Amino acid sequence: MLAIVIDDSRAMRTILRRVMTGFGFEVLEAGNGREALDVLAGAESVPQIALIDWNMPEMNGLEFVTTVRKQPEYRDMALVMVTTESEHGQIVRALAAGAHEYIIKPFTVDGIGDKLALLGLTAIGVIQ
Amino acid sequence: MTVDELPTVEQLNMIAEDAWSAYLDPEGDTPLEIDVPEAVPVELSASVAVVGAWNGHLVVSCSRNGSRDVASAMLALPADELSADDIGDALGELANVLGGNVKSLLPAPSTLSLPRVGAGDDERWPGSVEVCQTVMRWRGEPFRVSLLHSEQNNTTREVA
Repeated sequence: MLAIVIDDSRAMRTILRRVMTGFGFEVLEAGNGREALDVLAGAESVPQIALIDWNMPEMNGLEFVTTVRKQPEYRDMALVMVTTESEHGQIVRALAAGAHEYIIKPFTVDGIGDKLALLGLTAIGVIQ
Repeated sequence: MTVDELPTVEQLNMIAEDAWSAYLDPEGDTPLEIDVPEAVPVELSASVAVVGAWNGHLVVSCSRNGSRDVASAMLALPADELSADDIGDALGELANVLGGNVKSLLPAPSTLSLPRVGAGDDERWPGSVEVCQTVMRWRGEPFRVSLLHSEQNNTTREVA
């Protein structure tokens, strides 16, 4: 299974890569929404899931979600916001734009695992 | 906003403990010590701005060693392999996570800026008043988390 982690912080990308690798994913990385579109265009297959920060330079997470939702080739990619933005209005905006799930930082490994299970992305033998 | 509605030191501590246990010490090997009565040598600061119904800054300050420890833990790299960018990035992300959670305790709607990182006491927030502060210790290094309010007619709390 393939995931893409989109976050302007290398430290956060490293943490998310570690977590997702633990769940059996191969992981692509991008530092903002624009870069993620380039990474996706060059990828051999479409990731099953994108983990997306909200506040990023160039193209933020909400803009990325809105853009990707208009592209049918990515319709099967689960879009999960992983962000410190926890206001109700922000969550509603993200879900209305097409995000499937919302994870508030700081997250736990179990919290990510729960969301993967909700999305039907439980790798056999990986998530206990 | 009255003084009773401002985030408390206890809430700041709780937010910091959550962030540390999630990203810096997931195994619980080196727990964060809170409410440490210690001066913090400010060699690096990272901040995020809250803009909207409430305006201010969340600032994390620490020593160079402290910032290296944070980056080393988040990036899973030995301290001697870290670049200055790595250290700034990690401390900035820590400020982002703390700031985002503090923002949820403040009047909505508001937005959070991208993190800003500066060396020493170079960082200045003119017109801002500290309304809440906590000092913690991790791996023997002190960290200060401060919440600054940017308006003139703000409500202040005496900082211990």
